Amino acid sequence: MSKKKNQVNTNKKPLGMRIWNNRGFYLMFLPVFIFVLIMYYWPMLGIRYSFFVYKGRDIHWIGLQHFQSMFMEPEFWTAFRNTLVISIVKLLLNTFVAVVISIFLNEMTSLFCKKFVQTVIYLPHFMSYAVVAAIFTLFLSTSSTGMINETLKEWGWIQNSIDFLHSTKLWQPVFYIINLWKETGWGTVIFFATLSGISPDLYEAADIDGATRLQKMRYITLPALANTIIIVLILNIAKVLNIFEPVFVLYNNRVFEVSDVVSTYVYRKTFMTSLPDYGYTTAVGLFKSVVGCMLMLASNWASKKIRGRGII
Amino acid sequence: MADIKEKELTAPVAADETAENVVEAAESAASEPEKKKNVPKINTIEAKHSKIKVFDIINYAVFIILTLIIIIPIWKVISDSFNAVGVYQFRLWPNKPTFGGYATILTTSKLFRPLLNSFITTIAGTLLGLLMATLGGYVLNQYDMPGRSFLSYFLLVTMIFSGGMIPEYLVMKQLGLVDNMWILVLKHGMNVYNLVLMKNFFEGIPASLYEAAKLDGCSPMQIFYKIVLPLSKAALASIGLMFAVTVWNDYSTVQIYITSREQANFQYMLRVMVMDGDTPTTAYKVSQSTLYNAGIVCAILPFMMAYPFLQKYFVTGVNVGAVKE
Amino acid sequence: MKKRLVALLMSTVMTAGTLTACTSESGGSTEVTVTDEEGNEQTVNVADTQTGTVNEETGTYEVTDLYIVVDGTLTATVDNGQDAFIEQWEAAVGEKLGHEVHLHINQVDHSDYANTISRLLTTGEPGDGSFPDAMIMSASMYRDYQNTGYLWDMAGAYDNAEFQARIADGMESINLNMRTADGKQYGFAPTYGNGCVTYVKASWFNQYAEATDGINTIEDVDTYEEYYDMLKFFKDVKVQDADGNEVQTGGKTYGVVAAGFGKLDEAPYINYMPEFWQGAYPSFYQKDGVWVDGFAEQATVDALDRMATAYADGLIDPDTEDFGTKQAREKWFSNDQTTSEGVFTYWAGTWLRTLTDNMSKQGVDNDLGDERLLQLPPIKEIEDSWGGYLNREAPVWVISDDGDDNSLREQAIFDALFETMLDGDTVQTLWTYGAEDVHWSTKAESFTTNPDDPDKKKDYEYADGEFHLKQTPNDPNTVWKKNHLDPALTIAPLTNGFVTDDALIDQGNAFFVAHCVDAPTAPSCQTLTDNLEALTTDKTTLMVEVVTGEKSAADAIAEYNDKWGAVSQQIIDELNAQGSEAPAAQ
Repeated sequence: MSKKKNQVNTNKKPLGMRIWNNRGFYLMFLPVFIFVLIMYYWPMLGIRYSFFVYKGRDIHWIGLQHFQSMFMEPEFWTAFRNTLVISIVKLLLNTFVAVVISIFLNEMTSLFCKKFVQTVIYLPHFMSYAVVAAIFTLFLSTSSTGMINETLKEWGWIQNSIDFLHSTKLWQPVFYIINLWKETGWGTVIFFATLSGISPDLYEAADIDGATRLQKMRYITLPALANTIIIVLILNIAKVLNIFEPVFVLYNNRVFEVSDVVSTYVYRKTFMTSLPDYGYTTAVGLFKSVVGCMLMLASNWASKKIRGRGII
Repeated sequence: MADIKEKELTAPVAADETAENVVEAAESAASEPEKKKNVPKINTIEAKHSKIKVFDIINYAVFIILTLIIIIPIWKVISDSFNAVGVYQFRLWPNKPTFGGYATILTTSKLFRPLLNSFITTIAGTLLGLLMATLGGYVLNQYDMPGRSFLSYFLLVTMIFSGGMIPEYLVMKQLGLVDNMWILVLKHGMNVYNLVLMKNFFEGIPASLYEAAKLDGCSPMQIFYKIVLPLSKAALASIGLMFAVTVWNDYSTVQIYITSREQANFQYMLRVMVMDGDTPTTAYKVSQSTLYNAGIVCAILPFMMAYPFLQKYFVTGVNVGAVKE
Repeated sequence: MKKRLVALLMSTVMTAGTLTACTSESGGSTEVTVTDEEGNEQTVNVADTQTGTVNEETGTYEVTDLYIVVDGTLTATVDNGQDAFIEQWEAAVGEKLGHEVHLHINQVDHSDYANTISRLLTTGEPGDGSFPDAMIMSASMYRDYQNTGYLWDMAGAYDNAEFQARIADGMESINLNMRTADGKQYGFAPTYGNGCVTYVKASWFNQYAEATDGINTIEDVDTYEEYYDMLKFFKDVKVQDADGNEVQTGGKTYGVVAAGFGKLDEAPYINYMPEFWQGAYPSFYQKDGVWVDGFAEQATVDALDRMATAYADGLIDPDTEDFGTKQAREKWFSNDQTTSEGVFTYWAGTWLRTLTDNMSKQGVDNDLGDERLLQLPPIKEIEDSWGGYLNREAPVWVISDDGDDNSLREQAIFDALFETMLDGDTVQTLWTYGAEDVHWSTKAESFTTNPDDPDKKKDYEYADGEFHLKQTPNDPNTVWKKNHLDPALTIAPLTNGFVTDDALIDQGNAFFVAHCVDAPTAPSCQTLTDNLEALTTDKTTLMVEVVTGEKSAADAIAEYNDKWGAVSQQIIDELNAQGSEAPAAQ
């Protein structure tokens, strides 16, 4: 957090005095403090289960064995690999498409149309993943009631229904497309804010030099966005391991090998197994937390390097 | 020729409008980039106008397609929700109109109750979230308060580290929040990201106002609700909306913590309905898909309706938080 | 930087300190003297919980709050009169026990039932307000849990139960069969299991019979080949669409639909598609007294091949892959028949009535009335292998064990819940038919269902004192059928003479009884429990891949043997060892 202008000269008074003077603020912070303590710090104590067998009433110390079995578990590595692939491809794709849309939408001359397009493309962001999954599950259904398959068949493009959400080949592409549909529009918001900050003088100067519109886009608009793009990527790279709901609502046991991510793996091992070992799933969760923490620190460092302030 | 000039005229205005939104919401946020004045410039170079036209046509065409891609699925859902029969093909208008789907949701307690729960938790969650974010943001702005950095780290740690699924579950269980819809409220009560946004908004309020109030003998709490909050209405709206969207749309919390129908929210019921095909028996003659689609519409309707009016607030939240350099 | 680090550390240490202080807790406990079976007095420590108190004078435990978890089989759901059911149950049981008792029902009627149970049991403790005191488990779930220590061994309580005297002839075995080799019984089945029979829509079949030589009645379809021909015919039939117009479907309809090609997570796995599975059983079962892995057998390969062919021919609705039971049946009787199916294998007895009523409600085949559905007798291949449709192992009620060294709490739960459930009278009526004057009544009354529809309108009139079912609370156009216990399946019939006379249900039950055999017993061993989840997932995936044509059946089974062969062998060994010696104590 950056030092701010309203920081006043405080070193004159003794500490006790300063604390007393701020008693009102401490009191105001108390509810926040207690709330966070209970809701966030208390659960952290549970991390100790990573080193226990916690199977029903059988709870005993086991040391690092859970981590050992985790690293030996192919299913875990599949999930870990999928997490990285799915999150990163999704991030790059969404960012790329959002940039392209922002640049071209910026060129739109009619104010009304521009506003209208913005209004529309932001819309899906406000739908929950549960809703989006419901919509697309209905759309992509293979039965005679699935719109996409039936339409394609009617147009003669395909012979038999394609089972989009159950095919190991198609699941990931379909997942990316659904996520593009949902989040890309919203992703443009940040780029628009940057674009609106570009001085019109630059474009004028380019006009005088006889630049075409494409040239202006290439040499003025895009470079202006470069910094924002990097920031967006950095901000999000820290969160790649957290992906849960988007996958959870769309995956099914036939496509585990391409769709299972660490969080869904933990969820399944915790809540969809009869008599689970909670120690093991806590260990996986801890591993995820630690890697996520390192990513966060790395991206914080990168952010400081590039724009002079951290992400947190 | 004339209309090209006109378009050139409007373009910078459009760009500026967006910027204005951002600034407006931040009220007098001093750290915001300076407002750019409208400086419409008339493009005197006309030689390339034919090229421009081709580009424009393609550009418009692309965006027409883009908006259609977004709108058609949503429209299709709305249309099917009014269609008593479940034929999904590429039909974008109900051929057997009915309100039966909605009537079923409103009259079936196991669907209506979750819908009601959704409203209750969203309102409560938004209020709690705002309370925490404003209190925390306000206090963290007190740079001369001893222990301030300890408190910020106290909050930041929760952003990067968490207990994990089962430890959290066990604690919530101890707190009696399992199978209790208030988990939805409490789970989203603290959002450090929103708290930092709030803090950034507060920073924009001129320090002179605080000083004046302090001289008048106002306590921190009085300053908070007499000066800070009234000046942050736009921020409260933006961040409040972010909380509302999060709570309303939450599905995974319910999936993990709630087992009974009476405590579930509507997102969860929708999911159960579509994935398990668990539609209620209904006195109205509607197909299963009518119910699915009516359910989807109910799940998105509140924000769809508020959205056109509140878009500004939705957008500013992100802008001020993320772009702020 | 250093300062920040200090702050960070401080915050962590401080909060950890604060928190450890508040994690320990204790509850009150009482020492009571109880007399055990041999007449010796012993002192035990019994904890008071939120759900019951120890009566210090008598040394008994009084259940004051009873938490039960039920699935969809409790038909008195929240929007269907559950409040009245609870109220009347509390009144009746309270009177019997002589103290107040509150019933808390957590109804988890969705596909997540098994996981929810697991979560409730493994993260809770008796008395925490959500820990189930008693719950319903399917036979496979029951086998899964019986050795875990979560369930209470109720063999003694069952043997001494008051309802023993009323158990009907031939029904004793239902519960005794569940006992482990060393005589422990962890569950209680108030009914026998029931099974699925194959229903064919009469309107579709009539078209088939008309068009085909040698087929006149449903009994004429008696081999797989004939069954298959019938399915083929169902690809193109005359049905009514949503507007009630008759249309020729021209290939849009399907032969058969089910909840999954095989429901591999729920015994008896093959019951929704018996004609295709025939003699195959895709799980561990006892063949001539020896445990084998049915999934690896040739019979399974053949069955999968049959389904793959039928799927490729478009006879199995592709929705089958994803459908749950509810989705399958809704599609089967939906008002738009143009994408529906002709055949559906589903539960016998009461369901014949329910399916018929649902078709009626959707306006399907109204001209046929109660003759809408035909029951297909088991085809020759089923008769030759199993001998009939499978009667599954009964779902059971279980009581959670609190892990202490006495059975006071558990016995009290047994007395309050199970003993009364089969009391032959008031409480059993509650479980069987529902709440008085909500679901059923003996008061004079008359009502009309579907009053606005002349085709379906039906008047009911009852004299005072005549037992009858009322209209369904949340759907006045249908008549209530039953609550949790099916009167036709219960092991100890009602003694108060409350019976319903529904010819269709009787016909359904009679048909099933005439054509059923007991399903294989579910296995239970440690290795199986440990691997069940993954095993089921993999088997399901392979099955679906074969049926949808991605793999050949032989390849799939080979793949299965590759991955699971060793585990499978270990399971078989463990299971076979159980038979010869005393089962390993867990």
